[in-house]
Amino acid sequence: MEHTELVAIENLTVRYGKELALDIQSPVVIEEGDRVGIIGSNGAGKSTLIKSILGLVSYEGSIRTRLGMEEIATHMQFNEYTDSMPTRYIMEAILQTKISKNEKLRELIAYFEFEDCLRKKYQKLSGGQKQRFTIIMVMMQNAPLTFYDEVTSGLDFETRQKLVEKLVSWYRDRDTGLCIVSHYYEELEQLANKLLILDQGHVVDYGKKEELFRKYCGRAVLILNHSREKEALLAKYERLASPEHLIALACGSEERERELVELLLAHNMDYTRSSTDIEIIYTNAKERYYRKGAQA
Amino acid sequence: MREKRRKLVTWSMIVYELRNVTGNPFIHIFGVGMPVLMSILIARMAVDQMGAAMARTVQTSVFLGIGVLIPMATILMGYSVMQAQDLERGIPVRLQLFGIRSSVTICSRVISQLIFMAAAFLVYFGVGASALELEAPCVSGAILYGVCLVVFSVICFMMAHAIAALIKKFSITYCVVMILYFACMILGGMMGVSYENLSSPLKAAARLLPVTYFNRDFYTIWIGDSYRFGPMLQSYLFFGAIAGILLFIALKRERVRK
Repeated sequence: MEHTELVAIENLTVRYGKELALDIQSPVVIEEGDRVGIIGSNGAGKSTLIKSILGLVSYEGSIRTRLGMEEIATHMQFNEYTDSMPTRYIMEAILQTKISKNEKLRELIAYFEFEDCLRKKYQKLSGGQKQRFTIIMVMMQNAPLTFYDEVTSGLDFETRQKLVEKLVSWYRDRDTGLCIVSHYYEELEQLANKLLILDQGHVVDYGKKEELFRKYCGRAVLILNHSREKEALLAKYERLASPEHLIALACGSEERERELVELLLAHNMDYTRSSTDIEIIYTNAKERYYRKGAQA
Repeated sequence: MREKRRKLVTWSMIVYELRNVTGNPFIHIFGVGMPVLMSILIARMAVDQMGAAMARTVQTSVFLGIGVLIPMATILMGYSVMQAQDLERGIPVRLQLFGIRSSVTICSRVISQLIFMAAAFLVYFGVGASALELEAPCVSGAILYGVCLVVFSVICFMMAHAIAALIKKFSITYCVVMILYFACMILGGMMGVSYENLSSPLKAAARLLPVTYFNRDFYTIWIGDSYRFGPMLQSYLFFGAIAGILLFIALKRERVRK
């Protein structure tokens, strides 16, 4: 099915003073139905990219979109509201509705257990309650394109899980575009079908999750917690780049995978199999990007 | 798919901004409480000094002069401080991301400020009429008082918006508008030193402020006596020009930033 382009970015440069914050040369296109996970370490340019698309920072280059600012729903990393009144009045004014007359809004408020917070002023809310307040309003916008910038930061584990579940079910049958900035890869496993990998302002790679996995990791990967014993046992097998606390074994073929699994079973070693692991994609994409850069 | 654009003025945004204004306790203190108290205290003190025969004249003159503190406190001080605080915290940007254009916010704020100011004047006149002996105005005097207050309020709004947009910091904006507020009160003759007792340079500065004419001359206009409007008009033009220039610079800087 042909999808409509929502945003197309090309030759984009953003500078903060003399510092280069973002440099996107090859086209990055976000289409209807895309669920783009934007990943990268701090200072990679993730939030700057969102701000550029929203026109909140000045940039050079091209960001093409048919959407107006009001057609892009955004949960920013930091969201502030007035402290002069209870949150229910802020919500009603922003959404141009009455909570008592809007069933969809009441459902969302109930789902996020926000009823008691409606009487409180924004400054009196906890970090998690503040996040939920913005999320409810962002979801109510029902925009063609939505950004969530570190939407689950500051939330406890249970609320985070619940929120991700809600986001997954909310966007499941919708054809809208979704861009999620997150440091929690397990959230993106559930939410994203594409990845935009950024590092120090540069695009390491952009594409479908499965394609990127095949490109950088092969067919499948077995992931184990690192130990000297495992290191010695698996020394002769092809390894993928991984965070220090993990060992990632490449399974280029079914035979190799079977061989590895039997070996691990024989030694009673725990492992995880994946063909979409975002952390391993990210680590290997970055490693190859810099290796290529060094060779060039 | 394109959403319908919001109207420039909506009742819900006006109510929201009105809650914003009334949620600020300083506006109630400086914009309502202080003018009411000051007008009663100063008017009674002046009558004690000048004698009962002058009671109506003195009390009306003081009352009309102190009334100008209401737009100064609610708009010049209250609005600029609120706007600077909002800018510092990124609230206008947050609202824009929800599709509420800054023009909608500004329009709603103008209307809510005017509503609050009208309510403040109702209280002011209500308490004044019951606590003081006020001279009844002639029709033209009452209309002119209202027109001058509205024009002065608009200028205050322009100045407040510009100061907040240029400074963008709550603390510095608060400091600047407090200095302006008390400077206007002192030069306008509301802090115990009348215009006649000011030094020549200060007199020259006072003549450029509409506040001076509210405090010193409005009784004459109120009762319909003949009055030379030239200097007062000049003060409005001067004050308006300063506010206009500041607003122009602020808007231009905003456009360059975008």
